[in-house]
Amino acid sequence: MSETWMIAGGWIAAGLTIFLFSFLYKDNPFFKIAEHLYLGAGMGWLFQVSVTNVWIPKIWEPVSNGEWLVIIPSIMGLSLLTQFIPKISWISRYGFTFMMGYGSGLYIPAGISTDFMSQIEGTIKPFTLLASMSPMAIFNSLLVAGGAICVLFYFFFSVEHKGHLKKVSNVGIYFLMIYFGAAFGNTVMARFSLLYGRFDDLYTFSGSNYFYATQAILAAMVVYFIFHWLFTKGKKDDSAEEAA
Amino acid sequence: MLKETLQKFFKIDRRWIFLLLAVTLFIPIVKPIGLPNKSISQATTRVYDNIEKLPAGSFVLLSLDYDPSTRPELHPMAMALVRHAFSRNLRVGVVTYIAGSTGLIEELFAKVSKEYKKTDGKDYVILPYQPNILAVMTQMSSDLYGIYTKDRNGTVIGGMPVLQGVKNYKDMSLIVCVTGTAILDYWVAYVGDKYSVPVAGGVTAISQPGYGPYLQTNQLKGLIGGMKGAAEYESLIKQPGKGTSGIDALNLAHLLVLALILTSNIILLFVKYF
Repeated sequence: MSETWMIAGGWIAAGLTIFLFSFLYKDNPFFKIAEHLYLGAGMGWLFQVSVTNVWIPKIWEPVSNGEWLVIIPSIMGLSLLTQFIPKISWISRYGFTFMMGYGSGLYIPAGISTDFMSQIEGTIKPFTLLASMSPMAIFNSLLVAGGAICVLFYFFFSVEHKGHLKKVSNVGIYFLMIYFGAAFGNTVMARFSLLYGRFDDLYTFSGSNYFYATQAILAAMVVYFIFHWLFTKGKKDDSAEEAA
Repeated sequence: MLKETLQKFFKIDRRWIFLLLAVTLFIPIVKPIGLPNKSISQATTRVYDNIEKLPAGSFVLLSLDYDPSTRPELHPMAMALVRHAFSRNLRVGVVTYIAGSTGLIEELFAKVSKEYKKTDGKDYVILPYQPNILAVMTQMSSDLYGIYTKDRNGTVIGGMPVLQGVKNYKDMSLIVCVTGTAILDYWVAYVGDKYSVPVAGGVTAISQPGYGPYLQTNQLKGLIGGMKGAAEYESLIKQPGKGTSGIDALNLAHLLVLALILTSNIILLFVKYF
């Protein structure tokens, strides 16, 4: 990529980042431009990916080489589009039926094995090895098994939760709360990481090799907001007087 | 009087907090503070150990499934993983099921392959983006060449030295998936468990707690979580990068959040009881 394109890319990236962040101050036309551009570019990108990575290599090229069987799944895929025409929308059921059958056949055995059987095994297995485990490892296994039972019981509604059973259910809530707390803490960390990433890029684009893109765009935005404030201040006063 | 003044704290315009956070995150970028990253999690160490124990020439498959939206967290860890694999002289194959990741993969290998003088086709191969991940995973279990015939540049992969002796999952020593999506779950369920291939992962901090059960059962051989995980891995391979430099900013931002939570709670208690 030539240097000119790199600089142009830097200006566009810095500009769009600042335009989108400007919403944190207040809504403005630059934010709208960036928002619409994002949606449009996203759709365009998705369309070209579908054409160049799916339609051409998976349908066009095989059919051109005489692999006519490819037409059958292609027609089933196209049948999904009949959803948009109510009179013939029943045709889409064939495509959906195939997708559901294929998906269920693939997912159900794998799901049961990976997320159900293996997890039960993982919770119980340590108790068969207690003799060789350290006290801390035993405590950890008890905590995991106890937590799993209490949380599962919290979601078991066929018995009224009262007395000792309510206590078990309450312990389940505490385990859930700990998980939610950990998940929320990690979410905050992830969001800060993303923000750091954007700032890091903005700092990169603030260099002389990018002709101070970040500073220039930031200054332009500040000037815009000052002018906007100056021009709309009087109008707001007028409209307030008219309303009164 | 004091109570009324303190209560104003709760009505503060939140844009001041945004500004404070922005300044807090920006300062370490302009002037790194060098806060230490002393704790390395067991889950990250397990990924490192799994790569470290592989003999030179082993084939490692990297599934790099992230786009620019999660780049700050996942790109540093992908870079550290490739550096580690190249430093151990492992053969690296790259697949992706997220169309937006292709540019990032090119950027990564353009940089790291030069550092280690590795050649495309001989030491590593980047396979093109493929839609319908489950169909691809299923096909690769029997014959890799049934779904991939060319690399991302259109070169036929059949005779490439990097893929010599590699036909399906049985010929792969380790699969590492770096993603901010559920693709790691697919690798565990449809490949790791089914074909007994070691699978490790690198995920965003948001997804990290959800993978605890897979780590406990050893269905996942290790997990790198978020920018913290990336910094840990960079420490393990002794090559500081973007993950390590990001830790300064993250630490300061976390301190700011803690300070805000503590301050508001102390004020709340004071207003309520005094």
